[in-house]
Amino acid sequence: MTKTEIIKVKNVRKTYMGNGIEVKAVRGIDLTIKSGEFTAIVGPSGSGKTTFLNTISGLDSPTEGEIQLNGKDLRKMNGKELSDMRRDNIGFIFQSYNLIPVLTVEENIEYIMMLQGIKASERKKRVNQILKEVELSGFEDRFPPQLSGGQQQRVAVARAMVSNPTLILADEPTANLDSKTSNSLLDMMKRLNKETNMTFLFSTHDPLIMEKADRVITLKDGKIESDEVK
Amino acid sequence: MKFYIKLAWRNIFRNKRRTIIASIAIGIGLASLIITDAFMLGMRQNMIKSATASFLGEAQLHRNGFREEFDVEKTILEHENMISKIKKNTLIDKYSKRAMAMGTIKSAEEISPIIVYGINPEFEQNISKIDEAVQNGKGTYFEGKKSTDIIIGSKLAKKLKVSIGDRTIITVTGKKNKKNINTKLENIDDEDILDEDEGPVEEAFYISGIYSFNINEMDTGMAFIRLNKAQKLLNLGDTIHEIAVKFVNIKNSTNHKLPIWEELSKNGNEFVGWDNLLPQLKAIFDMSGISLFVTAMILFAMITFGIINTLFMSLFERMFELGLLRAVGTRTSGIRLLLIFEASALSIISIIIGIILGFITTYILTKTGIDYKGIEIAGATINDLLYPVFHIKQYLLYPIGVFVFTLIVGTYPAYVAGKMPITKALRKSL
Repeated sequence: MTKTEIIKVKNVRKTYMGNGIEVKAVRGIDLTIKSGEFTAIVGPSGSGKTTFLNTISGLDSPTEGEIQLNGKDLRKMNGKELSDMRRDNIGFIFQSYNLIPVLTVEENIEYIMMLQGIKASERKKRVNQILKEVELSGFEDRFPPQLSGGQQQRVAVARAMVSNPTLILADEPTANLDSKTSNSLLDMMKRLNKETNMTFLFSTHDPLIMEKADRVITLKDGKIESDEVK
Repeated sequence: MKFYIKLAWRNIFRNKRRTIIASIAIGIGLASLIITDAFMLGMRQNMIKSATASFLGEAQLHRNGFREEFDVEKTILEHENMISKIKKNTLIDKYSKRAMAMGTIKSAEEISPIIVYGINPEFEQNISKIDEAVQNGKGTYFEGKKSTDIIIGSKLAKKLKVSIGDRTIITVTGKKNKKNINTKLENIDDEDILDEDEGPVEEAFYISGIYSFNINEMDTGMAFIRLNKAQKLLNLGDTIHEIAVKFVNIKNSTNHKLPIWEELSKNGNEFVGWDNLLPQLKAIFDMSGISLFVTAMILFAMITFGIINTLFMSLFERMFELGLLRAVGTRTSGIRLLLIFEASALSIISIIIGIILGFITTYILTKTGIDYKGIEIAGATINDLLYPVFHIKQYLLYPIGVFVFTLIVGTYPAYVAGKMPITKALRKSL
């Protein structure tokens, strides 16, 4: 399978003011992520992982540098275009509070498809299919507080993947899960990565993710310290 | 759109207690507005009824300038023709002819200035409540045929120290006698004729009734005698000074677009409604309208802070969620729409509570009434219990006002939510 460049980052820097102090969170990163990769960005707290993830997803703008997602320069996009780009190209998985508690599992998953204007019948079909993939069939009408932490993260994975984005960004997805649940969740994500060729990019401290990742990029003080492909 | 409505509705019920408390607070504000309006409307109707039904009538016909000068010479022109028009008009229910003059009333001990009204007792019963007011006082309302009967107010009787059957002397200046003037024409010049005055006329009357309206002006400064007696006394012939009318529907008494106003205000006469006869009362109503507007603004301001407070509390609690929605591709407009819908949902619940509270309270007060009896405002005394009045605008205009106001107010938290940087929102959690 031909691997295309999903993310291309050139000399990205991010500086922000924190309590009146200038913080250089990212200090010049060059990176390319290709389709189908299962990559983990690791590093100690304050190394710039989350800031880097935010900049490459268009949630935050870099102070300097160029970011291309699927060949499109994020710097040239306005707020609306960035929203649409995230909706159509990126699936997000966060550490916790990932789901909207007043929406059912089905409603949480179909939300992005709804933003994309996909018909209700098609949404229903895809929700059922992805719930089967994440082994949560029959949970459609449950609300997030009625699910365990692991089940909630599975729903988050389902929501991130249901619209077939090119990139899944996961920020500490296993931080609030026990090791057994984390393992199960990661196995599922790895399987889906292989089946769909979707690109997974993690920001993590979790050794389990580092173990399962095909590529581990280590950040230190806002710079890439190492980039190891297994 | 439908999805955001559903989400907004569910969101406001995430913290039921807070939503219910906020809705009740806003609802009480709306209910207060509804009750205040119903109360004002009731007071207005009561005062108009009190002012017009006591003696004034809902409208009056006079000769032009009579109201300003109170000149006994200024009798209604073509009064028979005017009465014929009034009788034929289907909008007018009743009428009563009157003659009047300023003068004095004298008892054995005191003297007091008054306006003497000549009235037709039977016709007057349809327009005014002098007969009922006499029952509140003493004596009878022109029961016998005596032409020397006079009815005076209770305060005037007290001042004159008179009671039923006592003799009083009325002194008035009557209309100039043309015959007499003509006989003198040969001996005096024109200027003297214009100044010709028959001089005051005095006549004895016997107190047959003492009324009490609880209106100071009426109880101290008016006296009623029979119309034909007044016409003789004032040398009016069969002419009159005033025709008081009562409309079939009181609303027509201020609808000056009706043809009747122009029709009767021709040929030197003027037909005026109670709103022009009692401008002070109209001014009070206009002022009460302003008061209601100010009250509404204060209540709306309270509602505003209630809504802003609730929405911001809800907003800051869910900052991460809103960041999440933005992160997955929701446009700023979508987030703002969601917040506006939440404000609307809160408003709808509050409006329902407000309408129910307002309706129940108003309904109870329409059954029990509010006792403001005896209070005199701008010459009109509240004589009956005050009953609030339902009006469609209370249940349509004010709720719509609250809803629109909520939408306007809701734009502020919506603006803040939309402007919040996604990364900052994502850093916030419970």
